[in-house]
Amino acid sequence: MAKSIQLQETNSAKYKLLHLSWGLIALLFAVAMIGFLSLYSAAGGNVDPWASRHMVRFFVLLSGCLIIALINIRFWYRLAYPIYVLGFLMLLATEIMGQVGMGAQRWINLGIIQIQPSELMKIAVVMALAKYFHSASLEDMRKLSFLIPPAAMVFLPVFLVLAQPDLGTSIMIVCAGVAVFFIAGAPLWIFITGGLATLASIPVAWLFLHDYQKKRVLTFLNPESDPFGSGYHITQSKIAIGSGGLEGKGFLRGTQSQLNFLPEKQTDFIFTLWLEEWGFLGGLILLALNAAIILYGTWIAFNCRHSFGRFMAFGLMVNYSLYVFINIAMVTGAIPVVGVPLPLISYGGTAMMAALISFGLIMSCALHKDSKLPRMI
Amino acid sequence: MKRTPFSKLSFTMTGNRGAALEMARSRIVLLALVFIVAYTIVGIRLFDVMILQGRFWQDVEDTRAVEAAVQTKAPEAVRRGDIVDRNGAILATSLKTASLFADPALIVDAQETAKALAALFPENTYENYLEKLQKKGRFVWLKRNLVPEEQHAVMLIGDPGLAFQEEYKRTYPQGQLAPHIVGYVSRDEMGQAGLERAFNGLLETEETVLKTTLDIRLQHALRQEIANTIDIFSAKGGAGVIMNINNGDVLALVSLPDFDPNKREKLDGDQIFNRATLGVYELGSVFKIFSTAALLEKFPDALSMTFDAREPLKRGRFTISDYHPEKRVLTVPEVFMVSSNIGTALMGEEIGTEGLKAFYKKLGLLSKPDISLREVGAPLYPRPWRDINTLTASYGHGVAVSPIQLVAAVAPIVNGGLQVTPRFLKPEGEEEVTKTTAMRVYDEQNGEIMRSLMRLVVTEGTAKKADVPGYEVGGKTGTAEKPGAKGYDRKRLISSFMGAFPMSAPKYAVFVAIDEPQGTKESYGYATAGWTAAPTVARVVERMVSILGIPPVGVATAETQEDAEDMGAKTQLIAQPVKGQAL
Repeated sequence: MAKSIQLQETNSAKYKLLHLSWGLIALLFAVAMIGFLSLYSAAGGNVDPWASRHMVRFFVLLSGCLIIALINIRFWYRLAYPIYVLGFLMLLATEIMGQVGMGAQRWINLGIIQIQPSELMKIAVVMALAKYFHSASLEDMRKLSFLIPPAAMVFLPVFLVLAQPDLGTSIMIVCAGVAVFFIAGAPLWIFITGGLATLASIPVAWLFLHDYQKKRVLTFLNPESDPFGSGYHITQSKIAIGSGGLEGKGFLRGTQSQLNFLPEKQTDFIFTLWLEEWGFLGGLILLALNAAIILYGTWIAFNCRHSFGRFMAFGLMVNYSLYVFINIAMVTGAIPVVGVPLPLISYGGTAMMAALISFGLIMSCALHKDSKLPRMI
Repeated sequence: MKRTPFSKLSFTMTGNRGAALEMARSRIVLLALVFIVAYTIVGIRLFDVMILQGRFWQDVEDTRAVEAAVQTKAPEAVRRGDIVDRNGAILATSLKTASLFADPALIVDAQETAKALAALFPENTYENYLEKLQKKGRFVWLKRNLVPEEQHAVMLIGDPGLAFQEEYKRTYPQGQLAPHIVGYVSRDEMGQAGLERAFNGLLETEETVLKTTLDIRLQHALRQEIANTIDIFSAKGGAGVIMNINNGDVLALVSLPDFDPNKREKLDGDQIFNRATLGVYELGSVFKIFSTAALLEKFPDALSMTFDAREPLKRGRFTISDYHPEKRVLTVPEVFMVSSNIGTALMGEEIGTEGLKAFYKKLGLLSKPDISLREVGAPLYPRPWRDINTLTASYGHGVAVSPIQLVAAVAPIVNGGLQVTPRFLKPEGEEEVTKTTAMRVYDEQNGEIMRSLMRLVVTEGTAKKADVPGYEVGGKTGTAEKPGAKGYDRKRLISSFMGAFPMSAPKYAVFVAIDEPQGTKESYGYATAGWTAAPTVARVVERMVSILGIPPVGVATAETQEDAEDMGAKTQLIAQPVKGQAL
């Protein structure tokens, strides 16, 4: 009897609001503010056209994120497969009727908003895998036959995304998938074999890469080979970052970014502008904020009492941290240019939506960490 | 797969599930560690690009900026406006120069051209030029800021791959004369200091001419005299200000050691530091001007008050003594004239803590002065302000202000009581500070008494060497010991003289401070203000009156003196010699 009273209490709206991960929300807000400042500066000290919409979007999507967080995890558990199927169909639809943007077929026009199904697919894959592995025992995990269906869940959408072509997103889906496999307890030899197979297939994959992708890799290896062509992004980005120095040039004083030397300054390369204006210290602040967010998410996964929540929270966290890591590594020239935005900072609705949906789900895990979930037998 | 009804679930932790949880948790920790490592690597990468390679990329940036301008055929760079003194003499201007670059793709004969370049500009070798001309890419700098003869010689080489980029180069024709006021710009012509920084926006928008209140002739006189005194007394540095006390025009402002803004390769902080506006110092006895003025304001019968300076003054653990003890009871003019610390401290006690603090505040001594320069020092004063601080603050210890702030605070004491804000820009038209617009901060009659007291210091007191016959110099000396590690250091002084003239109707304030002067044989080992700063002010005043053509007191009316510091007014004076000579 006492137990049911407690259950009722933890389900009350008041309890849920009080126990929301407010610290995480504050961190997200801080990162979004960095985005606001950067976009304000990118427009030459103007809220239009980017900064104002960025913030409106953030608040609208944040309220959506909170609603997702408040909804019982059992609901998301039940919807995991339907969402996956929906995402997959949308991806397929893009292939057939999607709009071509920037040379890649990544967008689907829903009339009101344009969305990139591949961004949503990242979440759907993690959710589906989490549900699949939720009821798995360690014995199951050692059976190859048990691992084939989830592997298919990962690779089917990856092939579609690769066909778009979007190498960055494909890699991220695979990475998030691999992370869920890993914590679900798949045997280590699978990862070792998979890693070796990937290395071995690189020469073959090279043949399938688009020309611009090959060029990006080559330019990465030697940016100076083509300073006005493909190397332009990397070199410009490094100039802007390097000229920022320790303390940066100051707010609204980033000459490189302001003078339009930097292409895509409001989207994928926004971090460059931030670094130029706020310097190495500004960079450290952003890294620290994101590290705090990631540790927070990891902590939620660690403390979750059911496998579904644990796998989903951690998978989504891996996805987010990959965004941040890849973007920063890209603008600093540590890895080739792949079109990955910096979540909550880059201008763009889909990436922000994907990030806030993820955090909504993660916070739902935190709020319902003690919920009882059905196990499939 | 079949879903089990929710109600029928059992939640016993079997060993197997416990193991799965353990594995999941340990693998989460492992992956979290991987991410920490990845983030650390990214952080190191940032450090590498931003700090270690920072210099390199900054250089690339400079080249790129021009390169992009060439590529996009950007509109010609806007010429930065000139800065001139009050008579139109140029202090800062931008000269059009050409910078030579090469487009290696268009170079016809790299060897020939490199040979010609090496002959023309021997600072680089033939191999060096050849390497640049054969570089991949479309742009390489060869030499910045060519003079026309060099440009002509390059054209004679005749290689189509050589081209010029028009640039402006900021130059300061007066060199080392007034670097702290004028300031300087960075390589991309952004103001970095002084007026260049304070009015950067104004200077870069239009081709404006920034007309300052400076007079380079007075600036030169002040700088030379202070430099001379620094030399004689082997001092560390010095500062000086000449200000029109009626309208706040800063006619000269000197901070030594200084630098030539045209050559800024090897500068140390000491040269760049503006001691006249940014540095704040405990100036000692010159503050007795303020405490005496406050006493006059508080007690209508102040002149008949006497103060006992027979014994050093003991208050708590402090003992206040005099530098040249008179060992007698002193009147207020005597306290001021002989600069008695004991007497002044007693005066401070009479005025009271609140009274003295309020008076200092009214004169603007306790807040950051409002001047156009960005290099402004905020004053330091005791917080909390105890009664003992009132005693020391009355003779200028425990309160540190910048020279410009001191001059601004003295102005209303001697100009008839009106507040003055030091200004560096000449306002459009001749809107003078008048009695109707300026705020009254000091009583006119008391001001007259203060002027006679300050005159007394020069005729009978500590600053006899500040006198210039015919020009009624008045003022107050200050010899302050600098605060060291263990209290005040008797050997390290700031000797200053706050002067104004002519005392019957003052128009100019002249302040000179010498940092750590050493006594000489001629000064009998003294390094006090009376021996160092006071005679410097006298020499500055002597030169001022001949530069501005100010007649001695009683020789000319106030009208002919009006605006004598303006060249225009002076030529008028020459054009009508009969009027001037007739008087």
